[in-house]
Amino acid sequence: MDTIREVLDPGFLLRNSVYISLLVGLVCPLVGVFLVLRRLIFLGVALPQISSCGIACAFALHTWGIMPHMETDSEHTLAFLGSTVFTLVTILVLSALERRGRGLTEGRVGTVYVLAGAWSILLLVMNPYGEHGLLERMRGEIIAITDGDLRLTTLVLGVVAACLFAFRKELLLVSFDRDTAIALGKRVGWWDALLFLLVGLTVSMSVLTVGPLVTFGFLLLPPLMGHLLARTMWQFVVLSSLIGVVCAFAGFCVALRWELPVGPTDVALLGALYLVLFLLKKGALWVGGWKADGVAEPL
Amino acid sequence: MNTKPLVTCEGLTVGYGRRPVLRDLNLHLPGRCFTALAGQNGSGKSTLLKTLVGILPPLGGAMRFHLEGDRRPGLGYVPQQESLDPRFLLSAFEIALMGACARVGPGRFIGRRERELAQACLEQAGAAALARQRFSELSGGQKQRVLIARALVTQPDLLVLDEPTSGLDAAASRHVMELLARLNHDHHLAILMVNHDLAALRGHVDEVIWLHDGQATQGSASDMLTRDRIETMLGLTF
Repeated sequence: MDTIREVLDPGFLLRNSVYISLLVGLVCPLVGVFLVLRRLIFLGVALPQISSCGIACAFALHTWGIMPHMETDSEHTLAFLGSTVFTLVTILVLSALERRGRGLTEGRVGTVYVLAGAWSILLLVMNPYGEHGLLERMRGEIIAITDGDLRLTTLVLGVVAACLFAFRKELLLVSFDRDTAIALGKRVGWWDALLFLLVGLTVSMSVLTVGPLVTFGFLLLPPLMGHLLARTMWQFVVLSSLIGVVCAFAGFCVALRWELPVGPTDVALLGALYLVLFLLKKGALWVGGWKADGVAEPL
Repeated sequence: MNTKPLVTCEGLTVGYGRRPVLRDLNLHLPGRCFTALAGQNGSGKSTLLKTLVGILPPLGGAMRFHLEGDRRPGLGYVPQQESLDPRFLLSAFEIALMGACARVGPGRFIGRRERELAQACLEQAGAAALARQRFSELSGGQKQRVLIARALVTQPDLLVLDEPTSGLDAAASRHVMELLARLNHDHHLAILMVNHDLAALRGHVDEVIWLHDGQATQGSASDMLTRDRIETMLGLTF
């Protein structure tokens, strides 16, 4: 309780980190809902890694003088550019290959994931002066969040959430029944591009502030839990976000209490909750099947 | 019956990428008629259907539309229900309401009038009692009714169905065909349907378009569903 009071105190030193965690916990699951529905879970695994690689690449190019020097706050701009460009290009290329139906999707995404991970490390080793806190992000340390980081993250994720809400019926139609969407005159290519842009922006922004591990965790685990519990699409979306926010807050408190890194604590908490919900669901189904068979419940 | 054509195809070639499946087709879709597209597996029925609906681009030739102002007919498309992912937690009513996306623009809410229309179309399709049930949990015949309701919500000039009786038992298949016949007869709705179940076609359809060896042959059901014609088109001997 003392920890919760401390975290909720307006003067809490790490309040920006709390706000960022809650934002990511709220918005990443909204995007993750579409990744789960469209069976693009592997993409949710690979994109945060791609984004990190983009950041490492941008810093390396800058240190080596290949990218031009920028004005104030150049470090953040570099990171955002590298992250966003890499993420968006990867999404567009992978989705185009997926549309053509050539090769194995899992193979492509797995290859991209492992290469991005390898190159992130290599670029950091080759450019230790340009590391700029990236290693902390990759470990899930959510500490040095400036007011500027918070404002930018709020703006970008706010726009993402607003677009998902405003265009939910089009995005749902295109995701559920592409052929009928075409027959109804919808430009499915444009709507796909918008969805992938929103995914890319969410991943880029989240990786910049909380790192790839936390981003991936909140993209996938809350929607998987939401899908387990929900009966309708609204329930699915609301539960996913709610689980994300609650686990983000609870994970922060646990990490603060036991001096653990926030990111891994959040993801471990999500995983533990998923396991509990999964077992409860299985148990409920088992009991339901038992009753349907007319056998008395065990004492 | 008014048989003025809705759509005329002139030298139409359809296929995938650069690979044509059907070449130089010359046929028409009569207005207010119940037309079936029939042929062997792989004859190009679904390919032609998807080209007419706009899902696939034509590889050659032209399609002309004969509505006022040369506008394209409003198409109510009913896909094969197996193509729809059960992972989506959508109710039958929500599925039907998707038909309103043809009129309600991006970023706008679907209003009460559209919702009432969706409910009315579900009733028309005999699926009103299913409105709150999850679509993925419905039987094949129930799903088909919901998808037909969705197509009706678009207020189409032409209802286009891809294998609506596929995977259905005889009773469910008969119910779907009777619903379609009722829509055609009572509401004068033009229907184009891909169906390889010839027994389902008899007594319901007005026109048949046979696809065979890359070509199309069109005529009345009484002429096209004779034993000799079926044997020739399907390569069977009775």
